Amino acid sequence: MPHSWPRLLSLIGLAALSAGAVQAAPLQSEHLAVELVAERQALVAGAANWVGLRLEHEEHWHTYWQNAGDTGLPTRFEWTLPPGWKAGPIAWPAPERLQIGDLFNFGYSGTALLPVAIEVPAAAAGTEATVRLAANWLVCKEECIPGKAELTLTLPVAAAAAAPADSPAAAAVRAALARRPVAASWKAAVSADGERINIRVQGADLPAADALDVFALQPQVLANAPAQIARDGAALVVNAARSEYFVAAPAALDLVFVERRGEALRAWQVAAPWPAAAAAAGPAAAETAHGAAPGEVGGLGIALLLAFLGGIVLNLMPCVFPVLSLKALGLAESAHAPAAARRDGLAYLAGAVSGFLVLAAVLLALRAAGQSLGWGFQLQSPLLVAALAYLMVAMGLSLSGAFVIGARLMGVGQSLAGGGGARGAFFTGVLACVVASPCTAPFMGPALGFALTQPAAAALAVFAALGAGLALPIVALSFIPLLARWLPRPGAWMETFKQVMAWPLYVTAVWLFWVLMRQVGADAAAVALLGLVALIAALLYHGRSQLQPQAGWGRRLVFAALLLLALAPLSALTTLAVRPGAEAGAGQAWQTWTPQRFEELQHRGEPVFVNMTAAWCITCLANERIALSSEDFAARLRRDGIHYLKGDWTNQDAAITRYLANFQRSGVPLYVVYPRGGGAPEVLPQLLTPGLVDAALARAAASPSPSYSTSGSSP
Amino acid sequence: MKRMSALLAAVLALSATSLSARVDVGQPAPAFSLADSNGRTRTLEEFKGRTVVLEWTNAECPFVRKHYDSGNMQRQQKEATAAGVVWLAINSGAPGKQGEVDGGDANQQIQIDHSAPTAYLLDPTGATGRAYGAATTPHMYVIDGQGVLRYKGGIDSIISDDAADIPKATQYVKQALAELAAGKPVSVPLSAPYGCAVKYAPN
Repeated sequence: MPHSWPRLLSLIGLAALSAGAVQAAPLQSEHLAVELVAERQALVAGAANWVGLRLEHEEHWHTYWQNAGDTGLPTRFEWTLPPGWKAGPIAWPAPERLQIGDLFNFGYSGTALLPVAIEVPAAAAGTEATVRLAANWLVCKEECIPGKAELTLTLPVAAAAAAPADSPAAAAVRAALARRPVAASWKAAVSADGERINIRVQGADLPAADALDVFALQPQVLANAPAQIARDGAALVVNAARSEYFVAAPAALDLVFVERRGEALRAWQVAAPWPAAAAAAGPAAAETAHGAAPGEVGGLGIALLLAFLGGIVLNLMPCVFPVLSLKALGLAESAHAPAAARRDGLAYLAGAVSGFLVLAAVLLALRAAGQSLGWGFQLQSPLLVAALAYLMVAMGLSLSGAFVIGARLMGVGQSLAGGGGARGAFFTGVLACVVASPCTAPFMGPALGFALTQPAAAALAVFAALGAGLALPIVALSFIPLLARWLPRPGAWMETFKQVMAWPLYVTAVWLFWVLMRQVGADAAAVALLGLVALIAALLYHGRSQLQPQAGWGRRLVFAALLLLALAPLSALTTLAVRPGAEAGAGQAWQTWTPQRFEELQHRGEPVFVNMTAAWCITCLANERIALSSEDFAARLRRDGIHYLKGDWTNQDAAITRYLANFQRSGVPLYVVYPRGGGAPEVLPQLLTPGLVDAALARAAASPSPSYSTSGSSP
Repeated sequence: MKRMSALLAAVLALSATSLSARVDVGQPAPAFSLADSNGRTRTLEEFKGRTVVLEWTNAECPFVRKHYDSGNMQRQQKEATAAGVVWLAINSGAPGKQGEVDGGDANQQIQIDHSAPTAYLLDPTGATGRAYGAATTPHMYVIDGQGVLRYKGGIDSIISDDAADIPKATQYVKQALAELAAGKPVSVPLSAPYGCAVKYAPN
């Protein structure tokens, strides 16, 4: 490990520093000794007091100014002070220009001191106080070593207007203060001319140009190489190259002029207002002026509308159906108590909307943290899939009458989604949102894809609209008595209905286990199934206990133990996981989508049909069954030499997420047909029919497009 | 006087460009031909048609360590290469300088860091580094399939040596790659590179 020894040394240095931090002696770090000093032997209450960090650099080593130049990092201070005290920013002394090869840095070498003004409140007089400084620096010769130290300084606080004696460091502090640039009353005018920046400074007592250097406080404006400085009559003229990293001009460029004659140093600071016309001359401005990418949904309004419609359509999807029918059942009970019905309707709405908002917020946060995720990410977690399967079975068992959720309020028709009343309705809404996520409805793909490219507030609004759309039918039922009256009156039929509704839930659980198997393999899924058996045992046992007049501690303990047994296998899910993947077998019509394979085919200009799918995506599976598994489809592929690439997004896959993003999508399904010989790809709708697919494939095969393009990952 | 200073400026501008070459976003990226860590000669030309990321590196630089010890750089390398992007790590350290490597050292470093560049290129003369104006390690460049520079600058938006800043920072290279893949203009094509100095051979 050739790189590790300097780090190790700096760690040792650090330990030594923090151990010795109490005494106010210089602390030797690597290539740098630091000491926290004050100007005087006591601090003065009700005044600003100068303290500072003295830096003793080893020969050839340096630390950095507030604009470090081409490389490096400014020294940073963090103060811990008694309550009511305030530390100012570092009062940077004029920097030196440090050259390393072609590169220029701005900083300090030899002995330097970084002063800071500490404001001490008047009430502190007569006490003894400790100021603490956590300092971070980068010390470099050609190589660099980061360093840090925790330093403390304990001093008596003298009464206001007192004049305590100088400390031994007084001269050093005052010398550093004297090296600060003074605010000059000059006028500076900038003219930016392409790659050159001219600054004309006029005013009284301008220095001669021969021993002068100039530094900009703002990085990324002037190149760091020395500027040309000349006197033009009464003016001082600076001609500097523009930084090759210039993006946007500051409102004003703050310049520090430094004159060195032997040991003598004078420094001035002047603000040069940037002319408005030159402000956006950077290459970035041209780059960003391209406008919106094609294929994007036209604005937030349309995305909101599409999301809302998508939410309504979600109600027809098989994922949500069981939950929805439960909710409808609940409404039938309360149909004759309109106030309660409305309250429940609103609670359901709140649940669905907050469910989507929470999922969206988590998604946005993960994406902000750099993860390549899209909508449906929640089902890419085997743990959540298993938990959902458990929940489905538990709800099913409850409907089948094995046990009652909320045992204290037993009775027919009570609390179908747990909890009862508004709370129950709220969680039914959340549940609807969670189980709905596998069914990306038409309209939703573009809207969600758009949402994820927007600022967080707009993105969340789109997801909220989706939740509102999902909740709409139930809210309508609860608010329009006429609609509720269509539902049959509560009665014995409800018990039968409950028994029947248990079965879609069991089927959903089977499906979730199938997804789980695709995610983690048969071994891990079998362990999860064992856990399910324990869960069933726990719930049946719980159901029997509910029939007992008194639930003893023993019974509760057994129930808890069984529950634990049910949940324990979930922790083993990821360790046991074997990703089976969707390997293409011989004689199969499709091949596994990989960026390399896809790119290769694109290069050769072959027609390609891309299908992005996931085991948990019901819409995808339905499409594959209806339109992509027939012999006609396979024959069309063979006849026209069309390559069928299938990408499996069941588990997280950054490459697929990125591919989806190419089409402003954040979820599956996605079907794209690339014509022969390159040319623009055609995106098929999210609901396929055999005819539609066949026509698209025929077009792709026939296309003799001459616009052969080799763009690999950008379709 | 005015004419004089204009002439002076022109001469300066000329000399500035000849002294330290640089490449601007939107311009063709300079061609290069360098040996990789396995002794194979690699050129920019051979990757025509693919997006290429150049990463100037020096495993002993604290800023490089920030992005490797946190796994940030390896993660981006793996994601990019999985999406078909070519990722070339380049070391322009002169022989004898800190962090300079030969092919064997480079391969060992790749193993230590579990890094996943497409190739690790050696530029001991510094000619390629200077052609690009690579100043720091890390210093990042993104070149599109047509060989045009689309991004140059830092790996991310927070100039620090503290790995704790990585999650808070915008990862500019990753963002540029995603935008290029989506056929969009790169929204941040330039940023301040930050890090240690590239330890060039004196010229």
